[in-house]
Amino acid sequence: MGELFQEAILVSILAATVRIMTPLLFAAIGELVTQRAGIWNMGVEGTMLMGAFVAYIVVTAADSLVGAVLAALLAGALMGLLVAFMTVTLRVDHFVTGLGLNLLASGLTLFWFRSYIAGRPQPTFDGFENVALPGLSDIPYLGEILFTQRGLTYFAVLAVPLVWYFLYRTKYGLEVRCLGENPKALDVKGVNVAARQYCAVVFGSVMTGLGGGFLMLGFSDRFLAEVTAGRGWLAIVAIIAGNWMPKGVLLAVLVFAFLEALATHVQVIGVAVPHQVFLALPYLASILLMMGFKVRAGQPAALGVPYRRA
Amino acid sequence: MIKVEPRLETNWAWTTGAFTVAVVAGFAVSGLLVATSGADVFKAFSALFQGAFGSFKAITASLVKATPLILTGLATVVAFRAQIWNIGQEGQLYAGAMAAYLGSLILAGLPSVILIGGIVIFGVVGGALLGALAGVLKTRFRVSEIISTVMLNYLVVYLLSYLLAGGPWTEIGETVSYHQSAPVPEAAHLPLLMAGSKLHIGFLFAIVVAVACTILLEKTPLGFEIRALGFNPTALRSRGTDVSRTIVLVMAISGGIAAVAGLSELFGVGHRLRGDYLFGLGYTGIIIGMIGGLRPGGTVLAGLFFGGLESGALYMKILSGVPSALVPAIEGIILLFVLMAGVISRFRLVRVQNNG
Repeated sequence: MGELFQEAILVSILAATVRIMTPLLFAAIGELVTQRAGIWNMGVEGTMLMGAFVAYIVVTAADSLVGAVLAALLAGALMGLLVAFMTVTLRVDHFVTGLGLNLLASGLTLFWFRSYIAGRPQPTFDGFENVALPGLSDIPYLGEILFTQRGLTYFAVLAVPLVWYFLYRTKYGLEVRCLGENPKALDVKGVNVAARQYCAVVFGSVMTGLGGGFLMLGFSDRFLAEVTAGRGWLAIVAIIAGNWMPKGVLLAVLVFAFLEALATHVQVIGVAVPHQVFLALPYLASILLMMGFKVRAGQPAALGVPYRRA
Repeated sequence: MIKVEPRLETNWAWTTGAFTVAVVAGFAVSGLLVATSGADVFKAFSALFQGAFGSFKAITASLVKATPLILTGLATVVAFRAQIWNIGQEGQLYAGAMAAYLGSLILAGLPSVILIGGIVIFGVVGGALLGALAGVLKTRFRVSEIISTVMLNYLVVYLLSYLLAGGPWTEIGETVSYHQSAPVPEAAHLPLLMAGSKLHIGFLFAIVVAVACTILLEKTPLGFEIRALGFNPTALRSRGTDVSRTIVLVMAISGGIAAVAGLSELFGVGHRLRGDYLFGLGYTGIIIGMIGGLRPGGTVLAGLFFGGLESGALYMKILSGVPSALVPAIEGIILLFVLMAGVISRFRLVRVQNNG
């Protein structure tokens, strides 16, 4: 275990933490807005998978990273519209909708993937390069950890204060929070509850789709079935463990990302503990985190309750 | 003027009609999906159904595929009827297979009948414990069962991966290890129901469990509690029922049923503990249970139908080149339409006087 604490390795683990955090953060901070608006979108995993998949298709078929990111955003938006249609318009149970969506995404991506690669070797791609921020990236240690990252990682981190500002310092943000606490009050005021909830769901899903796209383009060179491996669920756990506050969500996401970064490094270094133990850590941590946070003071009162006019 | 209003009671004919429309719409969209992949839609679907139900041999193969799906579907029904969102069928199925495998190691050498009986008990207990764990996490620690069961699924899969790749159950070949266990003893194989087919006694397990679920839900006090828990937990609590106990019990039963699917696949089909052929059976069971209307009878029908499609998928792939992954895609699409139809069937159109 001693090697783990060598300087270079520690820096490498922390830099990997920030990279691994990115897709989780996109999904968690996006879905935070959705949940604050009262919609329990349990389809995060499926939406992320769709984002990752379409990003793979576009980057290998059209060889365009920008196109791949746009495709992931679009896939997220479509999945979000479907969730909103089911939960807001049809008022299907939010949990059931999310489960259905995940299963749908899993089936569709597998089918399209197999059709896409049928009869040829699986195409691969070159993903994002690091963008070193001038000046900042020269700071010892910190430069390598924080300022030599993929471009979208900076954007993901920036999204946290932006979402915080939106939720707590703008009129629309106040209305989003009110949607999750007392939608009737907004309805009485003449605000279109359904339209606002549609927007909140689509925003969250677009961010989640982007997270999926980053997962593909920022880490990997090919798509694999079920490549998201539960990250969508970890994003949901991060929101609950973070008590529905942007800062808390960021912290929870960091914990998951650190554990995953640790696992990948342990495999390379070759510690005498089965590597499955380390791979399982984020999932174990999520259960422990949930056990530790019994108080759900921040949970929006009307979260998951379909709104209908009496 | 025509107005949409909620129905006070569900209308059987209307529900069936909406369901039929949903399935037809699901297949229509699936047909479009096949068309986008450039294959001949008619050829693909006819091969799919022929491979599923086209001959006696195809039908028995379909029954084999349907067995685990019916069981994981029933596991879904028991939990979801209580509005407990157990999506741990996948992990509970793995846990059942692993515990049953452990049983076969401990009980090795016993006569076949006793051995198989012991294996079933080990497996069911394994799955039930994992289910109950999620139940305790929910009642004691307020951990949502959706989250805990998903996370436990991953933990169980990593445990299996460890046991089979370097751990104590790894079969070491001459030069490589195959990520699988050694074969289980012949005495532990589930007996075949029909000579010349692969149909094994696990299918009977599925039918027996389905009947037991119907009796449980409709005729027992626990069944009443399960339905009441889904319908009005507050009333149940004020009636003096220990709701926490009911939740843990339901999770244990659901986990135990999913475990039967795992052990029946291991000792009836695979004969070695390995991850690949167990993968996805739990998640598909959720679809089967929901399409089956969360009723044991409907779940058996849905399981037979989709088990057939899964079995016919290989034939379709050979004949038309369409990937067999079409079947999970069809399942997901039909599920979504069925969910929508469920809502639509709860409403009706009424003519109202226009009061200007």
